[in-house]
Amino acid sequence: MILAWKDTVKKIKEIIEKAPVCYCVDYDIPAEEGVSEALLTISGKTFVARANISKIEEYSKGSECLKKRKDGLKTCIKIESIEEIQDDVVNYEEFTGGSIEKIESYAFIIHKEEAKIELKESFEEKLEKEVKEIIKKAENKGVPLPVKIAQKISDAKKKYGIGDKDLDKLIDATIEKYKETTVDPYEAVGIVGAQSIGEPGTQMTMRTFHFAGIAEMDVTLGLPRLIEIVDARKTPSTPSMTIYLNEKVKENEDKAISLARSIESTNLLDISDIEVNTTESFIRIFLDKQKLEERGLKKEEVIAKLRKMRMQKATIQEEGYELKITLEEPSFKKLYQLYEALKVYQIKGLDGIKRAIVKFDQKAKEWVIYTQGSNLAGVMELKDVDFTRTRTNDIIEISQVLGVEAARMAIIEESISTLQNAGLNTDIRHLMLVADMMTFDGNVEAIGRHGISGKKASVLARAAFEITSKHLLNAGLIGEVDKLNGVAENIIVGQPITLGTGAIKLMYKRGD
Amino acid sequence: MAKFNILLHEMVPEHILVPVEEEGKLLEELGISKNQLPKIRKSDPVIKALEKISGDIEPGRIVKIVRKSRTSGIATIYRMVIGE
Repeated sequence: MILAWKDTVKKIKEIIEKAPVCYCVDYDIPAEEGVSEALLTISGKTFVARANISKIEEYSKGSECLKKRKDGLKTCIKIESIEEIQDDVVNYEEFTGGSIEKIESYAFIIHKEEAKIELKESFEEKLEKEVKEIIKKAENKGVPLPVKIAQKISDAKKKYGIGDKDLDKLIDATIEKYKETTVDPYEAVGIVGAQSIGEPGTQMTMRTFHFAGIAEMDVTLGLPRLIEIVDARKTPSTPSMTIYLNEKVKENEDKAISLARSIESTNLLDISDIEVNTTESFIRIFLDKQKLEERGLKKEEVIAKLRKMRMQKATIQEEGYELKITLEEPSFKKLYQLYEALKVYQIKGLDGIKRAIVKFDQKAKEWVIYTQGSNLAGVMELKDVDFTRTRTNDIIEISQVLGVEAARMAIIEESISTLQNAGLNTDIRHLMLVADMMTFDGNVEAIGRHGISGKKASVLARAAFEITSKHLLNAGLIGEVDKLNGVAENIIVGQPITLGTGAIKLMYKRGD
Repeated sequence: MAKFNILLHEMVPEHILVPVEEEGKLLEELGISKNQLPKIRKSDPVIKALEKISGDIEPGRIVKIVRKSRTSGIATIYRMVIGE
């Protein structure tokens, strides 16, 4: 078990200079057995120092200590040695098992259990022998046949009992067809893709529908959603997650409901009325018994959470379901600051999850949780959640938690389902191209002038796209050179474009 | 560092580090130079997870990614690791 507390830069420097030392703080830290390590933080989110401690005991007036403050001291921590480190608070969790995002005053924490990182089984090794043979035969003829087609050939072979010679003929015929359907080099796939997505776009509605089959939940659909995806917005207007449960609990309705309740984020304002009394400098919180019951909270839990909140010196008194917080130093400004902080203070649940609904999936025979609001990292860590299948519709969040390849897959899936929802059938390859371009540089970038289009090398192309005068002016000032490699600039100057026929330069072969 | 292994998530395809010796042959087969490959950041969560298995990955290394594809079953691409 490790003790962690928040302190100032100056004090931490002093401790480092004077160690070993006895350090006295103004928190009431219970003298726990077995605590030998302490981590210090300044910001509350990263640890800057690690100390070996030998004892925690109550402060006695006579002791010679390094003091955190002049008075109000409550505990003495005996520090043997201390060293500077760099670590993040998110790598730890509370001793009692909750995840910890920020250290407010002090906490008892332990290292988070790290999962063992190992690679998934490779797909290539799982392919059947026949399929591999077919691919090899095709490769010998110089054609990299896709796995899906080889699979179909192998299935047909089994179904119709095709002999070896006929199989070779079949493979040859398949290869001919495959060569016919591959895209020619220098084909204008970009513009074809743009038109293939844009044309169904004109048939989509611009209104956002508020339905989506899961009653009570708002989901953005149609054109606005497609625009959000392609613009790589930081947060979608209706973030939502689909949470699947583990093998053992996925058929258990009660577990699903209790999990859903525990992740719904509850503010102090959701369960109480807060009143500020400026004349006598205190804040009264009237807890609503019914709301507490609805959310499965107890009064004692709320009070415990409140005590942990970092407040300027204040005392909390409770009278039944009424709490009174009095500031020691009466001050308007501090009172209002406290009031604002209390209004949004999170009592329970994961940050960001506004609502969680449980539904039974008939096909898969399991309970699934749908949420309004998204916190992928938080949800994936929960005990009963099947993290391999949990998904969200917030693409930037996926790229931050699961990486750029997962984000690419999310872009494709979200956009194809948006189009299919509107009844439009576009070939997925065009969307794959868009997703590939958006994730080319390792991040998710927008298509517009803030992303890919703004990074083009050609001045004329950028000027022709948006904000003409700025680009031309800057180019003139710096003396930029436009190499006329792309499509737009060649059209502007009137030369053949570098796609299709214009991509080939002919050379004359002389007789000798 | 987290309680779960992101490499097991169904949306994350296989990422395999290409040994340095094989890079030259690979680029020749594809007919391009290293800088023309799509990129992946060193701070990408999957790269961070791979670093736990194979040690530090410097910028310039190539990662082979095997994706499941709706159009062709399996698709292989390569990404070059870039800094930060």
